Amino acid sequence: MRPDSASQIMRLLGQTRIPSFENISNLSMNSDCTQVVVPEEVFFTIAIAGILENLLVLIAVIKNKNLHLPMYLFICSLSVSDMLVSLYKTLENTLIILCKMGYLTPRGDLETKIDDVMDSLFVLSLLGSVFSLLAIAADRYITIFFALQYHNIMTLNRALIILAVIWAFCAGSGIAMTIFSHETATVISFTILFPFMLIFILCLYIHMFLLARSHAKKIASLPTSAGPQRVNLKGAITLTIFFGVFLCCWGPFLLHILLMKFCPLNPYCACYMSIFHVNATLILCNGIIDPMIYAFRSPELRSTLKKMFCCTRSDWNYAFNSRGKYYKTLLVN
Amino acid sequence: MEEPSYCLLRRLAMSAHRLISNRTSQQALSNSDYTWEYEYYEYGPVSFEGLKAHKYSIVIGFWVGLAVFVIFMFFVLTLLTKTGAPHPDNTEPSEKRFHVSSFVADFGRPLESNKVFLRPVAEESRSLFHFYINEVEHLDKAKQSHKAPGLDSNIHFHEVARSSGRLEEELNCLTKFNIPNFVNTDQNSSLSEDDLLISEPPIILESKPVIQASRQILD
Repeated sequence: MRPDSASQIMRLLGQTRIPSFENISNLSMNSDCTQVVVPEEVFFTIAIAGILENLLVLIAVIKNKNLHLPMYLFICSLSVSDMLVSLYKTLENTLIILCKMGYLTPRGDLETKIDDVMDSLFVLSLLGSVFSLLAIAADRYITIFFALQYHNIMTLNRALIILAVIWAFCAGSGIAMTIFSHETATVISFTILFPFMLIFILCLYIHMFLLARSHAKKIASLPTSAGPQRVNLKGAITLTIFFGVFLCCWGPFLLHILLMKFCPLNPYCACYMSIFHVNATLILCNGIIDPMIYAFRSPELRSTLKKMFCCTRSDWNYAFNSRGKYYKTLLVN
Repeated sequence: MEEPSYCLLRRLAMSAHRLISNRTSQQALSNSDYTWEYEYYEYGPVSFEGLKAHKYSIVIGFWVGLAVFVIFMFFVLTLLTKTGAPHPDNTEPSEKRFHVSSFVADFGRPLESNKVFLRPVAEESRSLFHFYINEVEHLDKAKQSHKAPGLDSNIHFHEVARSSGRLEEELNCLTKFNIPNFVNTDQNSSLSEDDLLISEPPIILESKPVIQASRQILD
């Protein structure tokens, strides 16, 4: 299947206008759902903004020695995967523009290979994004429920090993899914993976949330507490934002994949699939929003960035003791 | 035809819009020219006649469903904050603090035995413990007024120890990981670190990494 299709693709690559298109337009009905087109400039802007933002996070974590912790390693992993998604989209648009201008040969072997590599990259970054979110949730869970043993459980080496395993698995899955892309099992396993991961992460966070609620009730007895209601409302808002963003950005695309597989000729499905570019833009937006809700919530990371850009004297009186960081964070908040 | 025209993700996704886009327009070719349009000719076009519902019904239904789900999740989480036994903290907070501290000073031993109650189930243990605290408060009211001005750092450190012990035990109950020896030794070690950093009254409870982390993460 793939060699035939590849040759067909390459035949189309060099052509800007295909005469038989007019026939097809005559065949299609007047009231069909026209493709909702998002301008190339919007795609490029969002993709490049995503790349830059995630790059900032990576640079901040690398520069500041205090941020060499497992928690920030997982946030970095998320940034890397978001960056890869944006990079993929940028590359794809660049290739299309090059094809339109005629710089790429239509039948080149190179183009097929680039195509395959980019598909693998896409799946790799999608899976990497989800697994990074899972790793962040698990790390926070261990921080809260195994607080005393945390530094023994989650050492830096173990975090690196976990990340290596995650990315190796994602790379393998990416290559496997690209090779077996026409199988139904691929599509089903891909779309089922996301809800399962989501539910699992949701359970972790809800358990943490319940614990925070019970602690807030205790703290309510102390004089200077803010009151449990305010703390828990903020927690509810935070959790809703986490999952709302995840669902809104990935959900439409996954539904698209499912409809594409199971009802390509249904008019309702076809109308849904006509908004594909909007769905792809949402995935790019996810790459922009994720650093804001994960990385930039850390005061230390924010101050690192401020120091890098504004060159102002931040307050670097953090005790290097890790517990000192927790205390300092509380006092700052 | 033998081979499916859709294959993976981007190809899957990209080829879909080829089918229904207005193909005479140049703009339709602006993205992903190298899609499987050729094969879609064999499938034939999608007929839009005789649609019962609005043609974008899946789009609308999906987004409405998603919004309803997110709002529902938010309300569930907010309701979780409101349910649960209300904490009996009608007393003044400072008074409460003194209650706890005197409870510690006078009833240090019973707290140890209370650990037995705290093991089995989280909720039951909490309610038992609160009941115990309330009882002690009632018994101790008379002594409170005398003890209040006499708070010194010894009692205050004890309180930190006991309270952190309470919280750690609570954690253990919640996670059902009862490793008493480990908790005790760690509590002692953590207490020594806390001693170095404590400069305030028992508010320092909030600085325990557990509560700290949970609040930090969820705030």
